[in-house]
Amino acid sequence: MRLELGKIFINDVQFGNTTKVENGVLFINKDEMIQEIGGDEHIKSIEIELAHPGEEVRITPVKDVIEPRVKVEGPGGIFPGILSKVDTVGTGRTHALKNVAVVTAGKIVGFQEGIIDMTGPGADYTPFSKLHNVVVIADPIDGLKQYDHEAAVRMIGFKAAAYLGKIAKDIQPDEVKVYETEPLLESVKKYPDLPKIGYVYMLQTQGLLHDTYVYGVDAKKIVPTLLYPTEIMDGAIISGNCVSACDKNPTYIHLNNGIIEDLYEKHGKEINFVGVIITNENVYLADKERSSNWTAKLCKYLGLDGVIVSQEGFGNPDTDLIMNCKKIENEGIKTVIVTDEYAGRDGASQSLADADVKADAVVTNGNANETIVLPPMKRLIGTTKYVDVIAGGFDGSLRPDGSIEVEIQAITGATNETGYVTLSAKGF
Amino acid sequence: MIKKNATIITNNTLVCDKYDDKFSLLYIEDSLIEVLKVTRDKIHEGHKLLTHPLSGSVKPNETLYKTVIVSNEKGKLDMESLLIIESAIETAEKFMSMKQPPNWKDEVLADFREIDCTLIDSAVESMKNY
Repeated sequence: MRLELGKIFINDVQFGNTTKVENGVLFINKDEMIQEIGGDEHIKSIEIELAHPGEEVRITPVKDVIEPRVKVEGPGGIFPGILSKVDTVGTGRTHALKNVAVVTAGKIVGFQEGIIDMTGPGADYTPFSKLHNVVVIADPIDGLKQYDHEAAVRMIGFKAAAYLGKIAKDIQPDEVKVYETEPLLESVKKYPDLPKIGYVYMLQTQGLLHDTYVYGVDAKKIVPTLLYPTEIMDGAIISGNCVSACDKNPTYIHLNNGIIEDLYEKHGKEINFVGVIITNENVYLADKERSSNWTAKLCKYLGLDGVIVSQEGFGNPDTDLIMNCKKIENEGIKTVIVTDEYAGRDGASQSLADADVKADAVVTNGNANETIVLPPMKRLIGTTKYVDVIAGGFDGSLRPDGSIEVEIQAITGATNETGYVTLSAKGF
Repeated sequence: MIKKNATIITNNTLVCDKYDDKFSLLYIEDSLIEVLKVTRDKIHEGHKLLTHPLSGSVKPNETLYKTVIVSNEKGKLDMESLLIIESAIETAEKFMSMKQPPNWKDEVLADFREIDCTLIDSAVESMKNY
């Protein structure tokens, strides 16, 4: 499967009369965009605001972050099974508006999390402070149930990303990057001397506000399966996961997964990156057993020499991570696990809720219990009404001057477990 | 109707109301940590842990509610169950030592009950296939 990813670099986003890209500036016709993404019976009104890198703006509570993309050539459309038909994607050509994201924000439940500061010390912790953010705030009708509200906000986010993405279709990209994964037997023939490496991509799948969808399927219901990495770049995996801001994978991360990106960099040179095994993180322990058994079985069946395993979330998924690691190692395949830590404010406590001697190669993306003081910002998109009770906040953490003392777990993407973070060791 | 071959241990009244006729119920009118400790006692008695005690990404010093399912059948002490519950208690106590849950409003408590309930719904859905 071969995908050309055309990147269109955007230096600024402004509201205008027509939605278009001109000289690297994305202009958005706000009324047209609201018209296009609206219409959900559960939503009373939609507002769109812009937030630029370096501005004194705080966006909270953040639900999802999505990069605008469009399918230019090849089967299917972006977000198959969600916005497009279920054609197998990942082939042909896709265009992406780079340096831009749709951010969905707003209250779904009374306890909140997910802060993106566009400047100041908090901005250093989130990769999304470097983007021009088109923030969509959808106001629900009264009495809407949390499930319906989350689903409505999720869909509006994808529609917004697709609305902006479609203008990229006819633009000449500034850069085109080619990603190619051959069928297994062909790649083994092509690179007989390179170690065969796979990526086990664990997806959050536990219930309300904790879900992920693959081609539109609730990933709780899948058994581990194989994807070409380029399918994921076309939106085969999307996030419905709104909890644990620091270590969840927003859709933007699925589209731009750093592990996939880095494995492709080394593909054909140091390693043969043969593909991605997706698996889930269910609540029922027998599901965990089955999924980790199947994951290990697939790794063995593919003849892998090494596997990278990344997890998503806190607590429950630690058990899946260790089960996957242990069972894959028991097949004689080397593993590296990628995670983050809840190691206490001083970093001295046990980091994960599970462990095993076989988990002897671990990449951490930071300690989510570390604390930070976020200074007040001039403008707020969303609400800090709930910041006093934000995940990782303290009673009285919202100070009278508008500054907030929180654990970094409150910051969107701060300790992302695919390594799409700023807190990281990039060498050894 | 599902045979009552498992016990729900919970401090969430929403879960009690929903699963009263389908499961044996052990309602704990106490904290999240107490639910975990009662679960540990059941495991020591030989029951098997069926769901993960740290279900959900909501932190144990954030939500007040916890629901866990154990088998009704008793056997030898299941070491895997014991390891998971002990680690869960250790993790929950670590969080509680850093910060106690805030004094939540009723509306927020209702949200936490709803989330805890949907987490266990997903496990019950899986159990139907056994």
